[in-house]
Amino acid sequence: MQIYVCVKHVPDSAASITIIDDTGIDKNITFLLNPFDEHALTEAVKIRDRIGTSEVIAICLGSKDAQTTLQSALAMGADRGILIQSGENHDSIFTAKALKIAIDQDGAADLILTGKESIDAEGMQTMFRLGALFDFPVANNIVKLDIEDGYAIVDHERAGGIINTYKMPLPCVIGAGKSLNIPKYPTFRDVVQARKKVIKTIALTDLNIKKPSASMKITKLESLQQTREAKEIKGTAVQAAEQIVQILKQEAKVIS
Amino acid sequence: MAEKYDAIIIGAGVIGAPIAYELSKMGYKTLNVDKLPDAGEGSTAGSCAIVRAHYSTADGVAMAYEGFKYWLDWENYLDNVKDEKGLARYMNTGSILVKSQGHDWKKVQKNYDEVGVDYEEWSIDKIKKEVPVADLHEFWPIRRPEDPKFFDEPTKDLEGGIFCSEAGYVNDPALSAHNIMRAAEAKGAKFMFNAEVIDVRSEDGKVAGITLKDGTKINAGIVVNVGGPHSFLINKMAQGVWEGCNIKTKALRHEVMYCPSPDDYDYLNDGYHMSDGDIGCYIRPEVGNLFLIGSEDPECDPQEWVDPDDFYAGKGGHGKDNVLTEEQWKAQCYRLGKRVPSLAVPNQPKGVVDLYDCSDDWIPVYDKSDLPGFYMAIGTSGNQYKNAPVVGRMMAELIDACEKGLDHDNEPFQYQFKHIDRKTDVGFFSRKREINYNSSFSVNG
Repeated sequence: MQIYVCVKHVPDSAASITIIDDTGIDKNITFLLNPFDEHALTEAVKIRDRIGTSEVIAICLGSKDAQTTLQSALAMGADRGILIQSGENHDSIFTAKALKIAIDQDGAADLILTGKESIDAEGMQTMFRLGALFDFPVANNIVKLDIEDGYAIVDHERAGGIINTYKMPLPCVIGAGKSLNIPKYPTFRDVVQARKKVIKTIALTDLNIKKPSASMKITKLESLQQTREAKEIKGTAVQAAEQIVQILKQEAKVIS
Repeated sequence: MAEKYDAIIIGAGVIGAPIAYELSKMGYKTLNVDKLPDAGEGSTAGSCAIVRAHYSTADGVAMAYEGFKYWLDWENYLDNVKDEKGLARYMNTGSILVKSQGHDWKKVQKNYDEVGVDYEEWSIDKIKKEVPVADLHEFWPIRRPEDPKFFDEPTKDLEGGIFCSEAGYVNDPALSAHNIMRAAEAKGAKFMFNAEVIDVRSEDGKVAGITLKDGTKINAGIVVNVGGPHSFLINKMAQGVWEGCNIKTKALRHEVMYCPSPDDYDYLNDGYHMSDGDIGCYIRPEVGNLFLIGSEDPECDPQEWVDPDDFYAGKGGHGKDNVLTEEQWKAQCYRLGKRVPSLAVPNQPKGVVDLYDCSDDWIPVYDKSDLPGFYMAIGTSGNQYKNAPVVGRMMAELIDACEKGLDHDNEPFQYQFKHIDRKTDVGFFSRKREINYNSSFSVNG
């Protein structure tokens, strides 16, 4: 079984982002493996270890610096990596095309895993576009995954925590949700072993991607200004608890 | 300002607050000014707050051991003052000093014997029994992950360690400074926050007071620089003080990491503080069953000297936003990953970045200055937190003696410890000293 895990090199969520020229950011910050992709990788490795004859390939469209993200993927258990090297940012339409061509060149995908979204763009687009290009079924925000007799049986979590179970024929594209698993982070030994694994670099230009008829571009980035004020709740513990319940009911409307 | 003070203390961290406390107890009317909103919010808050006695000099061991006695008896030290934020807690873990080429542990052992610190020598088997997750191979020399040799397989075993049961950490360093502030206030000390000093004024060759950014002038015949990473900027404000110091201070950027303990190991409750010179790390437990991983500043690691104002404003290049760097995250976590093979290292760095106020030889300057009335407790780097209550008392007595006419530069003040039967020569910490090459030139002290 060939399992491709699409990973993205994203800014650390703890970094404070400085916008440059309205559409870019100062990249002198830590970049890392998209946290949702950690769930995808962990699941892929779990499936591989259960089905002995499988291979997990981490694939990434990104700059030369994205090598570190692929190294993280290898340390988390991927068998090898593919970097489609590009100097610029791409939208999900283009990204899905690049991933499709690179995967086709590499082998035959039995399963494609992604994170449910990237923490920088939060687009939730690439997995669906990949599905369309491959003509594979797609399910995103998956919290449980079983592979049985050529099918993926998945629990899909909808808004409000509602779970639907689907049976999808392989090959398919699956976007890993946060509850799918606890990411298995590498030990030092894993890091040592990952050093022996191979990352193949492909120049984006070598993929001869035709310019898609539609595209998205960033016209302006703005930093989110959150105005939140602290409010002190006074009184005894019982009074405070009553006030908190009122706030949760009437202001936050999270309980009824 | 209508109120008059005998002494102004610049800084209300874990060293500034006890100086106020002790001077107040001696009858001095003190005012601490701090540019931050509360006590201990500066580099004190970023301290690992480790309490351990191993130092490369006997005086260093003695001072730390004396400090330990204060942390053990915290409520009484504070004269049972109430703090609305609660009291900081000393957590006793015991400390293992790994016998390695990275530490002059024989010197430490000799110092322990001289001062009378209780310790045990632990074999590899004993350490393995106490710290079942440890791999006790020798990994020396310390390297960085960018160096391919970092990944070489070890071939030799370590020798063992020196265990001292009287060691641990304070669970909330900022709170401990706040506690001392409340104790000092109970003795009449005053604290002023959000107040940035822009000038130290002098008149007739003696210190006269300070000027704040908003133009407020406060007068006092004694001014004490406890500015932490800003100490060199404060010294430069006072006439002739910077020039009169043979030992200077500057601000060093420093990163400390939090890495989750392996699932099957309750490091928080079962773990020890460990100084591991073989991998250049020290560790202690942190809430959430985390390893707190500090660096012992191995030579291969870069040192970043920064402007403290730029750093805290999130400016500057490396360490912009005061955020951990990926390369140092990997360096420290992977070093510990050699010692603890089951340690899983997340991709996202987590930890604390702050500044050391570092002197030329990593030994603090506890001294008067060339400007009469101006004193300093600076250059406390990463290892003086534990000594804070001792330093508070020692500085108060030094200031009192100098104000009463002691010529400290020529006849150095001898400080009698309160809990252990020993005196220390405060001249050891002189600004006029030559660089002390006996120092470890690291956080180890």
